Amino acid sequence: MDGLQQFFDAYQTTIGFIGLNAMLALSVWLTLYTGQLTLGNAAFAGIAAYGSALLTMKAGYPFPLALACGALLAAAVSLPLGATVFRLRGVYLAIATLAFGEVVRVAILAIPITGRGQGLVGIPPKTELWHIFASLLVIAYVCARLRISTVGRAWAAIREDELAAASQGIPVRRYKLAAFVLGALIAGWAGGLGAHFDFAIQPDEFGFARAVQILVFAVVGGIPNVFGPILGALLFTALPAVLQPLQEYRDIFQGVILVLVIVYLPRGLATLLELRRTARLRTVGAEDVA
Amino acid sequence: MDKRIFGALGALAITLAACGGTATTSASGSPNATSTAAKPDVKVGVVISLTGVGNVYGPTQKNGVELAAQRINDAGGVSGAKLVLVIDDDQSTTDGGVTAFRKQTSQDRVVAILGPTLSNTAVAAHPVAQSAQTPVIAISNTGDGIVGKCDWGTCDYIFRASLGESTAIPQTVSIAKSKLNVKSVVLMYAQDDKFSSDGFAIFKKNLTSSGITIKKEIAFSKTDVDLSGPVTAALAESPDAIVDSSLAGPAIQVLKEVNKRKPGMLVIGGNGFNTPAIIASAGAAAEGAVSGAAWYLGNPDPVNKDFVTAYKAKYNADPDQFAAQAYSAVYILLDALKRTPTVTSVLHDKLRDQIELTTGVKTPLGEFSFNASHDVTQKVYVVQIKNGQFTLIN
Amino acid sequence: MADQIYNAVFIGSIYALFALGFTLVFSVLDILNLAHPALFTLGAFTALFAMQQGVPAALAVLVAFVVCGAAGVILDRVAFAPLRRRNAPPLSAMISSIGVSLILIRLIQLQYGPDLQAYPAGALPAAVFSVGGLELDTLRTVIIGLAIGLMLALTYLVRSTRLGRELRALAENPRAARLLGIDVDRAIAATFFLSAGLGGIAGALYGFATNSPFSQMGQSFELKAFSVMIVGGMGSIPGAVLGAYLLSFGEIASLTFLPSELRDAFAFGLLFVVLLVRPRGILGQRDVDRV
Repeated sequence: MDGLQQFFDAYQTTIGFIGLNAMLALSVWLTLYTGQLTLGNAAFAGIAAYGSALLTMKAGYPFPLALACGALLAAAVSLPLGATVFRLRGVYLAIATLAFGEVVRVAILAIPITGRGQGLVGIPPKTELWHIFASLLVIAYVCARLRISTVGRAWAAIREDELAAASQGIPVRRYKLAAFVLGALIAGWAGGLGAHFDFAIQPDEFGFARAVQILVFAVVGGIPNVFGPILGALLFTALPAVLQPLQEYRDIFQGVILVLVIVYLPRGLATLLELRRTARLRTVGAEDVA
Repeated sequence: MDKRIFGALGALAITLAACGGTATTSASGSPNATSTAAKPDVKVGVVISLTGVGNVYGPTQKNGVELAAQRINDAGGVSGAKLVLVIDDDQSTTDGGVTAFRKQTSQDRVVAILGPTLSNTAVAAHPVAQSAQTPVIAISNTGDGIVGKCDWGTCDYIFRASLGESTAIPQTVSIAKSKLNVKSVVLMYAQDDKFSSDGFAIFKKNLTSSGITIKKEIAFSKTDVDLSGPVTAALAESPDAIVDSSLAGPAIQVLKEVNKRKPGMLVIGGNGFNTPAIIASAGAAAEGAVSGAAWYLGNPDPVNKDFVTAYKAKYNADPDQFAAQAYSAVYILLDALKRTPTVTSVLHDKLRDQIELTTGVKTPLGEFSFNASHDVTQKVYVVQIKNGQFTLIN
Repeated sequence: MADQIYNAVFIGSIYALFALGFTLVFSVLDILNLAHPALFTLGAFTALFAMQQGVPAALAVLVAFVVCGAAGVILDRVAFAPLRRRNAPPLSAMISSIGVSLILIRLIQLQYGPDLQAYPAGALPAAVFSVGGLELDTLRTVIIGLAIGLMLALTYLVRSTRLGRELRALAENPRAARLLGIDVDRAIAATFFLSAGLGGIAGALYGFATNSPFSQMGQSFELKAFSVMIVGGMGSIPGAVLGAYLLSFGEIASLTFLPSELRDAFAFGLLFVVLLVRPRGILGQRDVDRV
């Protein structure tokens, strides 16, 4: 028991980050499930992180209210953005959201109240582990319910064939936008929690590399259900700590694992959960991610 | 298909199991290992960036602490006990730094921690040691808010052995004014990098207060491919000198561009300039560059000469400032450990009190003491690159 | 002013060289190869290795071309070919390339460390000459010339040779290309060889210009390359060249007319606007996948 306590003490940050990353992975999962590739979620997390941290630090807002305001701010930004960029698809959509993310990063660097390149330091550490995991539980539950609801079926229909979905009377643009804004809201919530989990945030933490990392969690985890993104976040957040003994060879192993999973597990790590049903496995190859 | 999936899973499982395995054995093995020795080992934690962006500094810091530990143990250890280093990589991330600090304070139960390498990791990781009441000596953080009045709260267990930019830069500016006759400058800085932005703020404050005109401020990005544009714009203001607050990479570009367009133009820099890479990559263009340093290779002081010789013998390369500071910190800690009656993990507060009393320890950095706010008291070496060597000018 | 124009031409040439290889793979195979920055870095270090063995700089660039080209072909066999065989979406290939990039960068670091390196002293031309009062340096001028030459050569290759026709057919429709009797595997290998080889040359030349190659040097280009491709026209080779010079001139101009803190906002703001107004880019011919 003592050993377990020690382990928990030592890795409590990593455990927290697993939860935060799982939420971010779910936030991008929503749009991926709709068949849309967006890379704006790191920026949404950033907007909310800075927004909520400034509210608790400078305006003295209570923590839950600041979190909610941050997440709503992210969602409020995502609405007009989504309304404009969802004219695009595929790589174009991805790059447009990416460009938005960079504009956000540069804006943070240019606004003095954010501490600019020096970062925002001295954020009160209000986030407890249970906040993170309770949030994750609620978000995962909502996403899982959404997936099997009418909305979820409409999203799946859009992913399979947009034109067919539209011809059946599904308001395609509106459904895509809903997934995008909900994703921004979740990313914002995670961003706010993350800002109050560390003591400091930096513009770089919400840049291109982070956006790609979030995407990796979701895709490697698998898009078919909500367990995939959570599993992906778990694996790739824990991996650096687990592979620590490998020292300078660690990145190589991480790269190898990434390639192996993508090449040999077409539907992501979520396939692992279906291993027992070997009969289904034969059909897996045909049905791919995203 | 099936076989391949299982193959991949197998590989994955084996990798994970193997790695998880080593991690647990070393963790559970360590508490007992100490009991067999005659005198319990003194475990000192070191958290540095061996991977990620900070891995430019971490490896030489590792060399520095390992050389110091080896020499200390060869000379009888800490009053007869063996000095054992527990080195962890923080991956240059706040998450990695905090995790390593938690591991070292709760699992390894180290007497003190040296590190972490980067300032933004430090402001997140130091609170962990503070709440575990484990003394920390920062060995490479140069920004404000690391010791004394910390942004994150009480930090009376945190010390800093690395010369802060807020101490070094005023000296550099004052030499620039008095000896080099600088009256106006253009201030360039990498805006998206914490180290550079901190340096920029300190330079700006000190230049203004000493009456030097800042003709223009030019921000660039640490990811800029080429700095010919910003440098051309800076030279168009025809200042007496160009001040550049950036890491070594951009600094090399600035020096080369300045040299090409206006040879002989004075370039003044911060701590980012204090690396042999500047001279190796910029070559003749680095001539004349001025910066304030905590240490320089050519320092004829015997303690430094001894360090440089030993380092060269072990690693077959010249040490840099990061190695020198890491090496010195181990000796500063040793000095305090020797004065602490019985060093065990439960006597952290006694060790902390002894670190506070550190005065005049002879290190490669010169005579070293801590001041009341736990910061460095040492000589600042304002150096200029002459004939491919850092040369003292103050 | 003339000074700044020369600077913009130089930076634009480097952007263009980087973006060409990136665009080539995208236009033929629809893959965003995020390992391209790593191949670029490999080019700079291959040249460094060759020059440390006493190979002259000009030859070292050639070595970088061949070594990186070969690495590109291997990259395709390992990370992309298995995905192609089962018709995986382009997104999978992009993620797979991230894995390869991690491995490649780390391998370079294991050999050379993460620190800034320098090419052997005296191996690169350092002379400065003056044309009409403008100070130009030999190395940069040669790099600009070489970059423009390579752009022309690649355009010629794609437009007017048999290989070029095969590549275009492949880009249009892989199945039809196979039916037309094109050796698809060979054409794909050629695409990767050219793309990675060009990336390698770009890396070596950029390494020369800065004389401080380091393991993360390619990362700075990744985002800019997206911008260059979109603005010029996704998958269009002349478009990438145009986009590269537009970006470099835009950056230099905004340095003069805007507060320097906002320069990058210009680059990405421009990208965003182009995407919304004319997503196919300035010279893009292909119909954009638009709703």
